Amino acid sequence: MAEIPRRTRAESCATGAAAGASVLDDPAELETFTRRGLAGVGTSIAESSLRIGGMHCAACSTTIEQALLRQPGVVGATVSAAARCATVRWDLRVTRASDLARAIEAAGYVAVPDTAAAARALRRTESRAALWRLFVAAFCAMQIMMLATPAYVSGPGDLAPDHKQLLDWGSWMLALPVLWFSAAPFFTGAWASLRQRRIGMDVPVAIGIAVAFVASSGAAFDPGGPFGTEVYFDSLAMFVSFLLGGRFLELRARHRAELALEEATGRLPQTVMRLRPDGIVELVSARSLQPGDRVRVPVGQAFPADGVLAEGRTEADEALLTGESRSVAKAPGDAVVAGSVNLQAPVLMRVDRVGPDTRYEAIVALMRAARHQRPAMLASADRWAAPFLWTVLLLAAGAAAVWSVVDPTRAVWVAVSVLIVTCPCALSLAAPSALLSAAGTMGRQGLLLRRLDAIAVLASVRTLFIDKTGTLTTGGLRCVDAQRLDGSGATTMRELQAVAASLAGWSQHPLACAVREAFEATGTVWSDVAEVPGQGLEGIDARGRRWRLGAAAWVGATPAQRASTLRTWLGCDDVPMASFDFEEHLRDDAVAAVQALQRDGVQVHLLSGDDPERARRVGAQLGLASARGALAPEHKLAVVRAAQQRGERVAMIGDGINDAPVLAQADVSFAMGEGALVARTQADGVLVSNRLADIVRARGLARRALQVVRQNLAWAAAYNAACVPLALVGWLPPWAAGLGMATSSLFVVLNSMRLSRP
Amino acid sequence: MEILYLLIPMSAVLVLCILGVFAWALHGGQFDDLEQQGEQILDRAATPFDPHQGPPEGDAEESVGRR
Repeated sequence: MAEIPRRTRAESCATGAAAGASVLDDPAELETFTRRGLAGVGTSIAESSLRIGGMHCAACSTTIEQALLRQPGVVGATVSAAARCATVRWDLRVTRASDLARAIEAAGYVAVPDTAAAARALRRTESRAALWRLFVAAFCAMQIMMLATPAYVSGPGDLAPDHKQLLDWGSWMLALPVLWFSAAPFFTGAWASLRQRRIGMDVPVAIGIAVAFVASSGAAFDPGGPFGTEVYFDSLAMFVSFLLGGRFLELRARHRAELALEEATGRLPQTVMRLRPDGIVELVSARSLQPGDRVRVPVGQAFPADGVLAEGRTEADEALLTGESRSVAKAPGDAVVAGSVNLQAPVLMRVDRVGPDTRYEAIVALMRAARHQRPAMLASADRWAAPFLWTVLLLAAGAAAVWSVVDPTRAVWVAVSVLIVTCPCALSLAAPSALLSAAGTMGRQGLLLRRLDAIAVLASVRTLFIDKTGTLTTGGLRCVDAQRLDGSGATTMRELQAVAASLAGWSQHPLACAVREAFEATGTVWSDVAEVPGQGLEGIDARGRRWRLGAAAWVGATPAQRASTLRTWLGCDDVPMASFDFEEHLRDDAVAAVQALQRDGVQVHLLSGDDPERARRVGAQLGLASARGALAPEHKLAVVRAAQQRGERVAMIGDGINDAPVLAQADVSFAMGEGALVARTQADGVLVSNRLADIVRARGLARRALQVVRQNLAWAAAYNAACVPLALVGWLPPWAAGLGMATSSLFVVLNSMRLSRP
Repeated sequence: MEILYLLIPMSAVLVLCILGVFAWALHGGQFDDLEQQGEQILDRAATPFDPHQGPPEGDAEESVGRR
């Protein structure tokens, strides 16, 4: 498995797909989607990332891979069906990028460099084309149905033959756009897969459509000829529009997912304030930064690159990168990380590493790679589809051959009946309709799914890894203990708390915020308020007393032995008066949800980037199977991989950027709705409600969904087993076959809709 | 019932015309973003469709308050 290029730059190039294929060879352009010198310095092996348009099933990835590998100079090719992108390793001396794009186009797909602008245009074109095809098919199907109604409702002899022929002619006319335009993807798909010597779902569909159209046309223009008098333009048009409707919904879901990932990679600031050697500040693009540059970072902006703080003291919110719940104090000389947010004061930083070398980009690349390697579960459906489709085609051909001997006038219709009656509609709807319905219900209950096959995994998962900060806890702090240290007894606890809250109002430090929220402040008038980073706050009240709030040494107290809680002290004139203990606030339903999952046979493990002691405490509080702290993203990934190698189905719930690689690696993953965007885009589902209990509920629903899928498959198999013999012996005319197909599909859909009741 | 010989071809042609109108709307980008047009009336900076129906110039702050 090759690595993925780390390029995630948003708007570097916008080449047209096929027309501008030679533009791809331009060295500057090539640079935007290709990485060189992978196999060592001086070698000519490069790795390109291409986005593929026109893919509609997991099996397409094999087609494209084979087409690429046949190209001379291509060393390796991996196509991800989920992300719709191809990673190609090729020799710069043997072939060119435009030839790779041409090879993919020859296989029936579109290839564009994997940069956002081109992909956006591709998405728009795809979505317009799909909607246009769907509208033509559905609208024509409605009109054809109107013209077909008289033939259905009239008694024998009611409809004059010339009127019937007129209606048939009208139907034929309206079926033409459906056949030539709307159904074109089925024909091109079938043709592409035949040329690759494979069989896809498109092949019997295309043959069925073509045969039904030819035979119906024959019946319409030569009634009583070899094709009989019955026309089936209505079944044909409706069939095509149903299939296109399903594909359109799938396309929309995929586009939304892609858009979200693009937004996630745009987290770094676009423009930065660079300090020129002569001291003048200039506004430049973040991408033009070089190591050694000095950059001003205002409060609230993300650091644009990895580097070192040159001037100023501040605190940085690195929670999105490390999962650490507290903001980190930064003094001159401290390292700062790209993507973390400057919280307290404007500072000056020196850039050390830019672009692909930063830790932020490394995490994004890690996450993409993990996503790329995810086993495509959908491919298994396509695998068993091939033998089924071959059987259908052979049966239809065999029936036509036998009947052309027995009764040549019925041969065509028997073959069409077999093709229509076995149309994999009910079979192909069996799983998606149930999963869609379940996903809809989960969505209403607060869990949005991005991948439907997450449902199957969720039902069978036995191991759950869960992040602490932001997932099990809300990220806020809660006062668990307040101790009065003042021996004089001159003040009450309530007064001390009020003073602390009032003084804390002068700071944005997370602990100060917690103090403010925990206690009610009085209207103390402060003068000379000062905040010392890393120490605390001080201020002089109306009676001239100097109060201090913060670290133990700051207020003159002796710190206790290493405490597992966060403790802040309040002192007056260097005498400690009170101490307050804070703890992370568990989500209200965390205990109940974890217990319900464990009763369900799921082992829950805690993986945290936070302090190991605090992770253990939370683990003990919830009764978890294990709790590990101080884990970097790559360690979390290793833990999950190890569990997967033991053969366990692994689920992960997380919220931060540091969880994103794990979310992509786990068999099924959920991100909290409040979590980082990158995490949300990498997860299979987003817990919009932020209620962990919804996972428990969704698991129950997922089990029911799998049950419904099994019922649907059983029904579709029984239906095929009953109707295929009838069609083969000629007892099932095509209209009955069409009706049977529609009924079986309707049964499957209605059965699936039972899942929309919670 | 001879009128059917006129009406059915006419309806077929009409369908093709409607398809043409839809194609024009679709490729003109009218279906690319269905939310954006609805949200536009809430955007103060957008030019009003009918200049006479927008809030009076000096009234801008007050109408924000009412909302």
